[in-house]
Amino acid sequence: MVKITYITFSGRAHVVDVTPGGTLMRGARDNNVPGIDADCGGACVCGTCHVYIPPDWQARLGKRTEIEEATIEFSSDVKENSRLACQITISEDMDGLVVHMPETQ
Amino acid sequence: MNAVTSPGVHWDPYDPKYFANPYPAFNRLREEAPLYYNAQYDFYAVSRYEDVERGLFDRDTFISGRGGILEIIKQNVPIPKGVFIFEDPPLHTMHRSLLTRVFTPKKMNALEPQIRAFCAKALDPLVEGGRFNFIDDLGAEMPLRVIGMLLGIPEEDLKSVQHQANEKLRTDPGKPKDFTDHQFVGEGFEEYLDWRVKHPSDDLMTELLNAEFTDETGTTRKLTRDEVLLFISILAGAGNETTNRLIGWTGKVLAEHPDQRRQIYENRALIPQAIEELLRFEPPGPSVGRYVAKDTEFHGQKVPEGSAILFLVGGANRDPRKFTSPDKFDIHRPRVPHLTFGYGFHSCLGNALARIEGRVALDELLNRFPEWDVDLENAHLSSTSTVRGWETLPAYTPKAGKAKPVAAAPVAEEAPSGERWKMVLKTPMGPQEMVMTMNRDGNSFTGRIDSPMGGEDISEGKIDGDKLSWVMNVTKPAKIKLSFEVTQEGDTLTGHAKLGMFGKSALTGERI
Ligand code: HEM
Ligand code: FES
Repeated sequence: MVKITYITFSGRAHVVDVTPGGTLMRGARDNNVPGIDADCGGACVCGTCHVYIPPDWQARLGKRTEIEEATIEFSSDVKENSRLACQITISEDMDGLVVHMPETQ
Repeated sequence: MNAVTSPGVHWDPYDPKYFANPYPAFNRLREEAPLYYNAQYDFYAVSRYEDVERGLFDRDTFISGRGGILEIIKQNVPIPKGVFIFEDPPLHTMHRSLLTRVFTPKKMNALEPQIRAFCAKALDPLVEGGRFNFIDDLGAEMPLRVIGMLLGIPEEDLKSVQHQANEKLRTDPGKPKDFTDHQFVGEGFEEYLDWRVKHPSDDLMTELLNAEFTDETGTTRKLTRDEVLLFISILAGAGNETTNRLIGWTGKVLAEHPDQRRQIYENRALIPQAIEELLRFEPPGPSVGRYVAKDTEFHGQKVPEGSAILFLVGGANRDPRKFTSPDKFDIHRPRVPHLTFGYGFHSCLGNALARIEGRVALDELLNRFPEWDVDLENAHLSSTSTVRGWETLPAYTPKAGKAKPVAAAPVAEEAPSGERWKMVLKTPMGPQEMVMTMNRDGNSFTGRIDSPMGGEDISEGKIDGDKLSWVMNVTKPAKIKLSFEVTQEGDTLTGHAKLGMFGKSALTGERI
């Protein structure tokens, strides 16, 4: 289990334990973390699992994938550090990861 | 052949008995037969949240390529390339991605002022009247105008296009629809398309005509005319009826929960969560179908390759494993995602649009009608292969009292000589009133029909004892031939009109 912190736009932190191998999106959806809608459940067609990755984690999580790049157009307030949480697979070394959410999905 | 039996539990998607309130049956299926098999129509159904989620996400086992509607799957209806709603990868991915850019939440939210204007136009004339109809006045109007605006189809011609889309999915109560001659391309779009080719605009039709993509052969090209027509037909079909039903459920459910309606009235910030709860509580599309492409299991029981399966969204949305007190309508419940827009690769492309439409409609309704009651005696639940909801839902505002709605006199020019009949054709958009003026001449007759949508001469008028038949050709925008067959009994008429290839609608009439 790794600890992931999801911080909503209003600043509330939700700390959940996620099993490595799952996705950052599933960690939120399975634990009913508000603010990540993930309407398509990780098919990368909805763009409603948009999160911001803090600078110190960006390199470790890698770049957006090609389909992610296309789908993220769906999201609002896309920034350089935006990712779709369903496209990030949780690994052991992600313990302590903190992600932030946009105002709306 | 089939090992799954579900003693004592029963659900039949075509039986109006379940149609009116499927939830007790869904609740039993979910608890007693989490994998349900219906022998009469030979299909499986799962209704637990977890199972619906799993199934809709697993597009290798549960494919869309044989259709997403039970009848289409069972009747093995051929699906033309481009009907991406019923496609699998790689075609689905390619076709869907062409449309995704157009349907971003950002773009949809930007439509809000226009959506408000459509609502205002529909509702303003009704404010003084003391009554209105959630479907006829709003649900059948606004979503259609929005999609028309997106596609670039002129307002005045939208009605008949909607009519076609609805007719195609309509079922007769009690039995599956025959899809064997189903046409996926809507008639009536061709002329707009050809016109748009010459007169590009900033609408979706133009965007689709110009979009470049890489097809399955690796060629970069534009969509063909037929492909664009298909896409447009799909969007017109997917984006109307569903949102129309959401508006109907908004009217019905909030009328039954006046306290929560008052809270929303007083605090409009509650609207988004109210719409989510409405979507959960009464999903306009209660089930999604798939073809089983390889043997699989649910709850240790086998579902063989070649089966049809329904994912009961309406069951999943009320699964107590996921929602506390699921049968309770509660706009304040913590946000747990419902499955009303499907799930996975085919999840609703138009969900952002549907949501904004639902929210604006509720806001604009409350601006004009803080309270209303629904007249369920005169309401009617519709039955199609894909949606469940109100076909007509009259409502009245309390101050006006429960005045019985009086049928508005159709706007007809003062009729010349001859018999006059006021007729009502039960169409999927709700009853359509018309007045026929006829002049008998032996075994034949001539005349015309006037309705709020215009007037047309009739032809082939025949009289055979108490049987009358005639034809009326509607030309705009689709060429539809309406063939009427009615029986006269004194001062009343009963019968039906056959609407081109779209099936029959019941007709009643009385002498005026
Ligand atoms: C409350 C309103 C609506 C509901 C409940 C709804 C529901 C659904 C559902 C359940 C699916 C999944 C079907 C499947 O998995 O086989 C779907 C797909 C789809 N919807 Fe909606 N829908 C609504 C409004 C709209 C609107 C306004 C549009 C836009 C014009 C739209 C366009 C589509 C399209 C194009 C698909 C196919 C996506 C694909 O196969 O990739 N829908 N919808
Ligand atoms: S969950 Fe839909 S794109 Fe990530």
